[in-house]
Amino acid sequence: MSRIMPLVGNEYVLGFRKQLEWSGLIASAFFFGKIGAGLFMMSVYTESRLGMLIGLTIVLGGKGGAHMLFLGKPWRFWRGMSQPGTSWVSRGLWAMTFMTVFGGAALILPAGSTLFMPLAIIAAFFAFIVAVYDGFLLTSSNAIPIWNTALMPVMCMFYAFLGGTTLTLFLTHFGIIPPSIIEPVLSTVETILLAVNLAIVFLYLITCINSGGARKKSFELLVKGPYAVAFFSLAIGLGLIFTLVMTVISGSHAGPGVVAMVTVADLIGHYLIFFLFLRAGVFKPVFGLLKI
Amino acid sequence: MHYGMVIDLKRCVGCQACTIACKAENGTPPGVMYTKVLDQVSGEFPNVRKQFVPVLCNHCVNAPCQRVCPTGATYKREDGLVLVDHDKCMGCRACYVACPYNNRIFLKRGKLKSGYHGKVFTPYEAVKYKEHQDGIVEKCKFCSHRVDQGLKPACVQTCPADARIFGDLDDPESKVSRLIRSRGGVQPLSEDSTEPSVYYLS
Repeated sequence: MSRIMPLVGNEYVLGFRKQLEWSGLIASAFFFGKIGAGLFMMSVYTESRLGMLIGLTIVLGGKGGAHMLFLGKPWRFWRGMSQPGTSWVSRGLWAMTFMTVFGGAALILPAGSTLFMPLAIIAAFFAFIVAVYDGFLLTSSNAIPIWNTALMPVMCMFYAFLGGTTLTLFLTHFGIIPPSIIEPVLSTVETILLAVNLAIVFLYLITCINSGGARKKSFELLVKGPYAVAFFSLAIGLGLIFTLVMTVISGSHAGPGVVAMVTVADLIGHYLIFFLFLRAGVFKPVFGLLKI
Repeated sequence: MHYGMVIDLKRCVGCQACTIACKAENGTPPGVMYTKVLDQVSGEFPNVRKQFVPVLCNHCVNAPCQRVCPTGATYKREDGLVLVDHDKCMGCRACYVACPYNNRIFLKRGKLKSGYHGKVFTPYEAVKYKEHQDGIVEKCKFCSHRVDQGLKPACVQTCPADARIFGDLDDPESKVSRLIRSRGGVQPLSEDSTEPSVYYLS
């Protein structure tokens, strides 16, 4: 069927229809949400107040800002909290709110306060939800089969951990946050996370190869269509393979230039992979398996 | 009471009269169609066949758009109509990506600032555009305002080929129920378990 049905936009033709609404700003929101929450979680682990503050700022300013720019009626955003029972958008909004409240409360406490760690751990729990909820949000959409896979939340979780580790490594290396974890350990964690992410993306693509219909169309857009160059060269090549090779080669002796380069490459790859997954989203034809 | 629609694909002639009737009834801005007729060409020369497929919101019993809506703007009436409260929608478009039928339309900001003749509105546009808001998602309402008065939706009323039939799916003696029974009406994407209230006859 996928060979016969055309890929269409808004034309008056029956076929696979591309989703045209979720794109750059939503990809930005997902990106900032994951790297901010990842950095926040890492900073709670390393007990770095500045790291927590930067993570929280990235989530609030980056993710929150992108969402506000994206919404058609931004001043009604508070209404989005009313359906946490069924909507992942609502759940994400609540998680962001709790992360801000508990994280903010932990940060305003004086140094050495006994309440700091309990509040920081609760905030880290909500940061974890912020990091993974967009995966569940995409998975919950049956309409777009390439998103509707259990690997999506797993991928979001590991990309958040990777983003958090990369930023922690960068901030530690440049002396912005104190080195609570020795750099060789961070470099090893970074290498493992890059390898795991590469494996998950590979697994994700493998599951698409043998699929049919709309998922196959999306897969073709990613690997053969207009997004193939960006997908292979930037999202996979630069974001995962180049960074993995550089991390393995330089190990814990990487200079500032290498660390900065790995950080930038990782962030570019991170942003692009989810941006391209969004852009490659294709709806099934109206009749699906039905023959008319 | 559960309102539904039956679309007879053998009767549809692809004239788009339903598309125009819907636009006239709802006064939607350029590019916004609650319903439209898609076409599909199949076969190989010389055995080529053209099929017309009218599409609209399916007012699903298990509506995914309602489930994912974070504001509760999308709601379901007791008579089965799935509607959008324009004053509650925040324009997140979660419903747009959740609808397997791709039948939701986002009105971009500024969409209502110009009509079919540029920035000068016709008197009709000036009146009807007040019923819309930009920055939110809209969709077919099964002409709830007409149905509430005992009238048929505009597309059904207008169809010259009688390809669209509207009625109560809960009533086994209604025309829609009898047609579904006798001709084996099928629901689009039934494998998604959304239970659409629109059936197609082929």
